[in-house]
Parts: sequence; C-alpha cells; structure tokens
Amino acid sequence: MSGPNEDNNTQLSSHIFGDLLDSIIVDVASECHRIAKLGLDRNLEEEEEEMRLSAQARARVADPSNSSETNTKYVVDIFGQTHPSVATEIFECMNCGRSIAAGRFAPHLEKCMGKVIPISSYHISICLYLSIMIDSYYDREFCAIP
Amino acid sequence: MKHSVNRPPTPDGAEDQGNEPTLQEIINIKLIESGEKERLMELLRERLIECGWKDEMKALCRSYVKKKGRNNVTLDDLVHLITPKGRASVPDFVKAELLQRIRSFLMSAAL
Repeated sequence: MSGPNEDNNTQLSSHIFGDLLDSIIVDVASECHRIAKLGLDRNLEEEEEEMRLSAQARARVADPSNSSETNTKYVVDIFGQTHPSVATEIFECMNCGRSIAAGRFAPHLEKCMGKVIPISSYHISICLYLSIMIDSYYDREFCAIP
Repeated sequence: MKHSVNRPPTPDGAEDQGNEPTLQEIINIKLIESGEKERLMELLRERLIECGWKDEMKALCRSYVKKKGRNNVTLDDLVHLITPKGRASVPDFVKAELLQRIRSFLMSAAL
C-alpha cells in the first residue's frame, strides 16, 4: 500500500522533524538565557559597565556641589587656568583604541588590560600616560580622585 | 436527591482516548527505545552548528538581550524570539537529510 501510507509517512516525518527542531530551539534559547543571566558574555558586561561609569562620571562633572578635598574647581593654576575636578579631556586608549575621558582612564585601563591593577600602580599607570600630556594634568588627576 | 444522580455524564471522548495510544505516541516510544531519537537529535544539532544556524540564533538572542537589558529577559522571550526564524531558516539539505533518516526509520519499524 503505497499511496496513503506514503502521505502518512511524509506527514509523520515532518512532524517528528518539527519536534526535534523545537527541542533544539529551546536548548539554544536556554543556553543564551543562561549566558545572559550569569553575565558570561564578556563584551556585553564591559559595554554595560562602561556606560554605567560614563554616566556616573558625567553626573559628577555636571554636579556643581561636587568638590574634591582641595576644591580644585575654583583653584587657578600657574597658567591662570581652572580645570574641572574630573578631567574631561578625551583621548584614545592605546590598548583598545576607544575614546576615553581622562578622568575615567584608569578604571577603563583596569578592564581593558583584563586584570585589576592595585591602587598604587593605578596612579602610576595613569601618571605615566598623562606625563606625555600637559604637566598640570598630573596634579589634577592625583588630587581629583575622590 | 443524591448528587451522584445529578452528576453530568462523562464525556464520550475521554473513554476512547484515555486507553489507546495514538500512532504518534507509538512511534515516539519506538524512536526513544531504539535510541534513534537521540541519534537524530545529535545529527540535527551537528548539522545546524556546521551551517551556522546556531550562531545566527545566538546572535539574535544577544542583540535582544543587549536591547532589553539582561535582567529583563525571560527564557520564554528568547524562545518566542527565535522560533519563527529558527524554523524558517533550516537549510533545505539539512532538512532533507533528517527527513530521509526519519522515513527510513519509519519503514524499518514496519509502520
């Protein structure tokens, strides 16, 4: 009996295939869900963290009541210039090529380099880089860290 | 009057469907018992990875998670997200291979 049986077989095969496929779809979705919930997707983590810290930094800069201990906001340096308490000068990270604000550079370096830098070399790394820049920034960064 | 007397009659369908397994159920049992279902799953999984289908689905999920924020995504969301695209984007040759295997199994199981 070929006619109706074959149709039946075809229909049955498609149905079985559909079941297999649906199971695999759920597996893939589970995997992605797990990765998302556990924060295992490094790229996503980094981007989220960057965005959060940028927003924080921007808020700190914008807030007029925010002052460091030496109240750098109104201090005039030897060139007669004032600077924001969190350095806002933007330049390129030599590791990943992203544009980073100077005030956010050290935390960015921590993540960018893939390891946590202890507090003393935190100052050293940013100072080394910034010593290439205008010298007054050295003091600004050092004093401005809350 | 006793409640049992007023009880509505048992629907006809239940009596018939309750005891006899459907053709589909029989086949499913045969598939599982013979180990063929497991083999078919692994074959399909392998083919879908090879042809990039899995990567495509994962990319869809990632961009959705990025958009919604990872704490606002449920498993249900992801399943509903990738099911239509997933079903539609299986390459023909993959589907053909699997259907062929399944049909052979059905023949050999003498159905």
